[in-house]
Amino acid sequence: MSLEDLKKIPYGKTAIELKNISLAFGGVKALTDVSFDVKKGEVFAIIGPNGAGKSSMLNVINGFYKPTSGTINFAGTDRNEMEPELAAKSGIARTFQNIALFKGMSTLDNLMTGRLLKQKQNFIMQALYFGPVAKEEEEHRERVERVIDFLDLQSIRRTPVGSLPYGLQKRVELGRALAMEPEILLLDEPMAGMNVEEKQDMSRFVLTVNNELKTTIVLIEHDMGVVMDISDRIVVLDYGKKIGSGLPKEIRNNKAVIDAYLGVSDD
Amino acid sequence: MSVELLNFIETVLNGLMSGVMYSLVALGFVLIFKASGVFNFAQGVFALFAALTLVGYQTGQVPFAHLINELFGTNYHNWYASMPNFLAILLTMVTMIALAWIIERLVLKHLVNQDPIILFMATIGLAFALEGVGDLMWGSDVKVLDVGIPSGGSIWLEEATIGLAAEGSDYYGMYVDVLNIWATVIAVILVVSLALFSQYTKTGRALRAVADDHQAALSVGISLRSIWILVWAISGFIAMVAGIMWGTESGVQFSLSLIALKALPVLILGGFTSIPGAIIGGLLIGVGEKLAEIYIGGYFETGALENWFAYVMALVFLLFRPQGLFGDKIIERV
Repeated sequence: MSLEDLKKIPYGKTAIELKNISLAFGGVKALTDVSFDVKKGEVFAIIGPNGAGKSSMLNVINGFYKPTSGTINFAGTDRNEMEPELAAKSGIARTFQNIALFKGMSTLDNLMTGRLLKQKQNFIMQALYFGPVAKEEEEHRERVERVIDFLDLQSIRRTPVGSLPYGLQKRVELGRALAMEPEILLLDEPMAGMNVEEKQDMSRFVLTVNNELKTTIVLIEHDMGVVMDISDRIVVLDYGKKIGSGLPKEIRNNKAVIDAYLGVSDD
Repeated sequence: MSVELLNFIETVLNGLMSGVMYSLVALGFVLIFKASGVFNFAQGVFALFAALTLVGYQTGQVPFAHLINELFGTNYHNWYASMPNFLAILLTMVTMIALAWIIERLVLKHLVNQDPIILFMATIGLAFALEGVGDLMWGSDVKVLDVGIPSGGSIWLEEATIGLAAEGSDYYGMYVDVLNIWATVIAVILVVSLALFSQYTKTGRALRAVADDHQAALSVGISLRSIWILVWAISGFIAMVAGIMWGTESGVQFSLSLIALKALPVLILGGFTSIPGAIIGGLLIGVGEKLAEIYIGGYFETGALENWFAYVMALVFLLFRPQGLFGDKIIERV
């Protein structure tokens, strides 16, 4: 599996397939026998009540968690588990539910870390700041500036991100993931804790990325309005099990899903 | 100017310069602590090991000579050729990088995600094991280290200051060791280039990223292990510089690894996670120590005030700012 394999897959065909994934921490079962696939170029949402195992699923995809059983088929190759480094190299970028930014670094530097894998100059050349190093830095800086423009981050370019308000931090985190120019973008509750206006901005960013860059997006979100609006397909988890999947309108009318969200009545 | 004032300035100057050495060792601690969360007790032994290795290469000693001779009944001790300083320093650097790689392979890799106390214990083990390896490789006798750095009192400074005292007073000018001036210059160059490197290159950025958030660093594809090797190698390099300075001043001997423990009060003062803290903490300890030695040292019979005063400073400091001058603020969430 590699970035090239992923790029070769035509849009609309399966990019990642998760087969019978189970994940347990000691006696706690976070995921039980979950299967679904993500098609290239779509916006795919994972939804479910709190503690349903949504974040665990994302962590399995990018290799933070190793599934207890099951296989991950990534771009045509079966694997038992992913590695975070390998995932990043193969074109998977992500954001976190509890923002994981480099708090002491500026917005610009945070975004520049997204370029690390694409920068090829070796250590000794950098130490001497010799030859093509400066040119390469400039090149990547340009790419990052485009992301900054896109996400309207110009005014906080030099600000240490630790001091930014929550909504902006979320946006910087998206920016760092975008700077990686990923094929697949995993977003863990990108709109949590935001007001309506910020949510609209974020939805617009996500849709633009999906439409114009053709980036595949796997999204966890609690706001049902947003999910129904922007996703192409949805999978629903509850207590670590898959209880439904399909198009938004199918999910809206799915009895099991409604029960999971609203509780089951006795009669 | 009065003679008292001039003496005071001289003391402070000397204190600052010996403080530079403490700062250097403390810097090695901080770098490793920030990047891998390990408090590396072996940092002092690194300095000793680097100095031993340097002398060994320089004078053409056969490494592990004693062991080889015992095993095979041979009688090698020397290559009968010495090495130019430049080459010896370069080879020592390579050795320190190799050491960092070996430590990552043999120790750190297997202890990822363990409690900090376990990692700390591992580095204590590492310290003594490395001392043993140093002994086995190069022998335990005290060695003279000379890489061509001049030493002795600075005549220039003495002559420049001799006329400053009031007319008719009995003043001979300031005494500052040239070696210390060199050490300061080299340390400043080292720190500035490190700062530039970490600020403006991609590897520097990766270094800062790992120090800030491991999970986020992994998600952008940084390899934690290669960064750890790099950080340990840089710390080894800093230790080498410190080892050269101390070795030149007082010979390369095994007690060198103990001087490095002076970095502990420096870290308490400066904070374990702050690079400026390590530098300023080192300078403060250096000055404090020298001032105490000169002005209150006379009240103590043994006269070994310098050995423990730094720790007293650190203890007093702990009462008021447990996180250190620049350390991350300790916030307890309930």
